[in-house]
Amino acid sequence: MRIECQHRDEHSCRFVLSGALPSFANSVRRAMAAEVPKLAIDSVGIYDNTSGLYDEMLAHRLGLVPLRTEEGTYVPIRECTCEGQGCDRCTVSYTLSVEGPGMVWSRDLIPNDPEAAPASGDIPIVKLEKGQKVVIEARAILSTGKEHAKWQPTTVCGYKNYPRVSIDAHCDGCGACVDACPRRVLHLVGRKVEVDGERLEDCSLCRLCDKACLATGIGENSAILVGSEPDRFIFTVESDGAIPAPEILRQSISIIRARGEELSRALSEIAEG
Amino acid sequence: MAASYKCARCKQRVEIDVNVRCPFCGHRILFKERGAGIKELKAQ
Amino acid sequence: MIPVRCFTCGKVVSSFWEEFKRRRDAGEDPKTILDDLGLFRYCCRRMLLSHKEIIDVTNPYQ
Repeated sequence: MRIECQHRDEHSCRFVLSGALPSFANSVRRAMAAEVPKLAIDSVGIYDNTSGLYDEMLAHRLGLVPLRTEEGTYVPIRECTCEGQGCDRCTVSYTLSVEGPGMVWSRDLIPNDPEAAPASGDIPIVKLEKGQKVVIEARAILSTGKEHAKWQPTTVCGYKNYPRVSIDAHCDGCGACVDACPRRVLHLVGRKVEVDGERLEDCSLCRLCDKACLATGIGENSAILVGSEPDRFIFTVESDGAIPAPEILRQSISIIRARGEELSRALSEIAEG
Repeated sequence: MAASYKCARCKQRVEIDVNVRCPFCGHRILFKERGAGIKELKAQ
Repeated sequence: MIPVRCFTCGKVVSSFWEEFKRRRDAGEDPKTILDDLGLFRYCCRRMLLSHKEIIDVTNPYQ
């Protein structure tokens, strides 16, 4: 099994996973979306709110703000020694106190741990008129996307099979397929159709080229074969800013590994009797 | 302790006993004031 | 208020709203603004394109 990174930055990551079963590729995707834990505001205490939004609406908006999460600095509240009370090891608390006129921004959320500040300070929460006031205390906990989408570290997280496009010998070089392809994967070299190596990964396997070829009356079989490699996958992962995208991949792999080890340990315990 | 209200026209604090009516200006639209406690909510 | 995230994909779109509004009101084509902001998926684009801010309308009635 191999992972080749093609593009990688804080925000998004694109890589090719080769030599893997479709079920494994899917488990990587699911682990990234639903198993990697991150911080998000879970409960909110409202002291005062004379803004134009209802308390519930304000709490909901705060819950969606992505918060920077460093791996291992917090433990899930269920596993914490405080038994769900909320302590420094499992909970980050924020205070937000703004008086109008003006906009309440996510940067106005003051955390007790500066490491867990909002990933973006430019998220508008609510606009206040003169005399309006919002005083809120919020508590963020660590959880996973299984519980609620606000704990999902990824926005886009998906994969497709690696495309394989080949041109048969009976191609007459009419160029109908080149015009039909919406991703411009094919191009004409002289009187021959060729696959543009750099653009091959953009192919969406739509088979419009195949249909265009048959429509020219080339015969029973089209001169272009569109298929995919069953054991190679192109992944696209985008982060919401809480955890860098490559870090999400790394953490998801170690979660899968820990799960696998747990399973084999459980099985060997059963086997031993 | 009855909840306190505020008149929509003269902004004075009003206690409702029998009639829903501001005793100061006679306006019939009253706003309920926010309670003193902290309102706990789930953010979802 | 503009929704914090895109309804469909979950990308944070609200942080782009102020800039989008300013440039759109200055007469720029929304297409070029959205491309500049890096909102290339149509789910995120519709969040800004179809948004109507009404907080200023409702605020006097508090």
